[in-house]
Amino acid sequence: MERDNHQEGVAEGVKICDPPAESNPPADTLATSLSLLGNHMFPDPVERNYGTTVNREEPVDSLLSDVSAEEPSLNAESHSNQVTKLETEETESPECQNNVATQPSDRGAQDAATDSDQGDSGEFVVTMLAKAKLEEQGLGMKGRSSPLLEAGTEEYPAFMSHRDEDVTADSWRQHRKHVFVLSEAGKPIYSRYGSEEALSSTMGVMMALVSFVQSGDNIIRSVYSEENTVVFLQKGPLVLVCVSSSRQSERQLRGELLYVYYQIISMLTQASISRIFEHKKNYDLRRLLAGSEKILDGLLNLVDSDPSFLLAAVHCLPLASSLRDSLSQILQKAITPNLVFSILIARNQLLTIVQEKTVIEDTRLEPADVHLLLNLIGASSAFQAGEIWTPICLPLFNPDCYFYAYISYLDPPECTVCLLLLSTDKEAFYSVAECKRKIEEAMVAQNSLSLIAKVQSYSVSQVGVSDLRHFMYKPFDVPDNYRQLTQFTSPEMEAPYSSEEEKMRLLDLYRYMHSRIHSTSRPLKLIYHVAERETLLAWVTSKFELYTCFSPLVTKACAITAITKLLRWIKKEEDRLFIRYPPKYSTTPNPSKSSRGGKSDQQDSTDNGFLSLL
Amino acid sequence: MSTRKTSLTDKQTKNGTSKYVLERCASVNEYYDIAFKVMLLGDSSVGKTCVLVRFKDGAFLGGNFIATVGIDFRNKVVDVDNLKVKLQIWDTAGQERFRSVTHAYYRDAQALLLLYDITSKPSFDNIRAWLTEIHEYAQKDVVIMLLGNKSDVAAERVVKKEDGEKLAKEYGVPFMETSAKTGLNVELAFLAIAKELKHRATQQPNDPKFQIHDYIESQKQKSGCCSLV
Repeated sequence: MERDNHQEGVAEGVKICDPPAESNPPADTLATSLSLLGNHMFPDPVERNYGTTVNREEPVDSLLSDVSAEEPSLNAESHSNQVTKLETEETESPECQNNVATQPSDRGAQDAATDSDQGDSGEFVVTMLAKAKLEEQGLGMKGRSSPLLEAGTEEYPAFMSHRDEDVTADSWRQHRKHVFVLSEAGKPIYSRYGSEEALSSTMGVMMALVSFVQSGDNIIRSVYSEENTVVFLQKGPLVLVCVSSSRQSERQLRGELLYVYYQIISMLTQASISRIFEHKKNYDLRRLLAGSEKILDGLLNLVDSDPSFLLAAVHCLPLASSLRDSLSQILQKAITPNLVFSILIARNQLLTIVQEKTVIEDTRLEPADVHLLLNLIGASSAFQAGEIWTPICLPLFNPDCYFYAYISYLDPPECTVCLLLLSTDKEAFYSVAECKRKIEEAMVAQNSLSLIAKVQSYSVSQVGVSDLRHFMYKPFDVPDNYRQLTQFTSPEMEAPYSSEEEKMRLLDLYRYMHSRIHSTSRPLKLIYHVAERETLLAWVTSKFELYTCFSPLVTKACAITAITKLLRWIKKEEDRLFIRYPPKYSTTPNPSKSSRGGKSDQQDSTDNGFLSLL
Repeated sequence: MSTRKTSLTDKQTKNGTSKYVLERCASVNEYYDIAFKVMLLGDSSVGKTCVLVRFKDGAFLGGNFIATVGIDFRNKVVDVDNLKVKLQIWDTAGQERFRSVTHAYYRDAQALLLLYDITSKPSFDNIRAWLTEIHEYAQKDVVIMLLGNKSDVAAERVVKKEDGEKLAKEYGVPFMETSAKTGLNVELAFLAIAKELKHRATQQPNDPKFQIHDYIESQKQKSGCCSLV
């Protein structure tokens, strides 16, 4: 409904952060640049419609707030501590809802502003953009014609077919979600579709927008058109842009851009990226990221198809707790100095994680870091026969240092069960590989592999609630075990959600529910949403977050009863559905339950190695 | 595949080096007498992984390019003069960002296969830089072989065979052109390495030295258009 509200009067909207007491950039030039961008991005450009709305940003990160540029006073006060960081947005309180009231009157003023004077800097930007555009149309495809692109970039073989996509074709524009990464100097780094080289002028336009708004001491955050939402995220020297027609909320899209940023960090570390760009502003980061497009592509596909990212929680494979414990024990026994995490994965879902004791005392593994690791494994699955040893950074754990990951499948050639061992020692390959052999032997002895092979995700029918088609349940940390990895559980998607389109449709509905629940302007605790072909109920409490999908004919009362039953079932199955650590932290080894105690004696000598990293 | 060393015989100690360890493996399918570490080096996308897969599985990884992440460790046992030689092969990522981790394992390698792509001039030009790195990080007596890969793509060739030969001669390393796609010379490259290493490891003081250059030349003639079986 916010969306409808938004669309009725606004053709395009730009949301910009406004610092306290600031002069506004000429809105008309911005509108012109936007329409130019529109030319690049949108199938039917709306540039003739100068009803572009420039939204000054206010703390409420909401679609509702079309607060106009003509109201600096309003923003000035609310912006005393204006920051662009996502964290800030997330902690924003809903108190500014009243801004919405100002919306209709602002629009008129806004339209008027578009006809007013044109600043010099603005003219420059327009010229520049026009030039870039010409170049793209003329010689865009493979050429290195753009002045924004330094001559002598690395040899860049075009291996992947979707990299060869014609970026001027309609089919390219029709993609549901584009993601672009560029450097502050406007150099292309990554594009989800099409070669980033062919898109260098489009990216130049994006950078021009960013820096144009920046020159007015503002920060561009998003642009809305009827068809698309454009979201900008600036992280250090990198600019990430998402152009989406998926109707997701700006916040969700920005969250996804953040995952992309983290994946890049996981390969290069934040420190090295900053160092490189400090040293050379126009560095071509593709030199360092070459070959990792697959990893970013894979991440974006996962983000679209796997609700783990939306929920910021990890999905673990349901497993009898006895089997999970025995696997943890196996991992616990196979250790070597400087080993910090042992992770067992089956079909891209967690079986178990064992952490080094000092690590778990200091911090915990964040779901996002686990997602990045899982994506790395999924994306490099072509090399399933060997043992891989690679540096990897866990950006939420520590964005500036590397771990060394040992990745090997335990069941070639099927390659469903994957072992991931993380060490802090670059030279530890042989000793870590030896751990794998120990684990392998123990698993053969206990016949673990065939037990794992039999494990399946569960069907919603096991819950025994008619009308319930699907659900996602994410328990929150309770104070006693706040060290636990955030997890969620969800049954297989079954009919009518068996086709890819239907799965995506259900996920879209969940995303919509999620955006409503987590709306910063008007967060909700409970939503009962009757959609066209199903009924959804989302409920968030201090203990859990729950999304359920029912058949369309369910009644409200029915749904509530069903949820009570579902919660009871989850409680009963908890040990199977989640990786459960003992509720209380203990330093004494407790091998049957604890995944941490057992290492304490042997690992003491390694503490130094680990701490020196931090 | 568990490899358990049940007995260790060290034939080499009389020569003063103990790094070529004769190993016996318990498991039947993994039986071998002697093991060596071989590393594949070269720029990104010259075909290191494809050469390895061709050698190991006799297949060609066509179509999609998937960059190797970090380093990838694999084994293959070959027969050399009735001796089972296990080649432990490091397939490395060509990308710069993995350099630090590959450097750490250079010195473990007894042989290095250095690859360039005959359709990419930069990959050939970088060979000198690679050789400099090798001299910096690898063992002094490491066996090096230069390979010009993708020889099947004659139409796109930009590096002449003679250029490769000249460079190899300058550095005194054996050279051949290979094709992971057709399999040309791939097996030969690994076998020549295995032979050389095996000779070094088992050589008696007054045995004649194994001439890898001559061996390659003789085999290359024979293979001509198709690979060794």
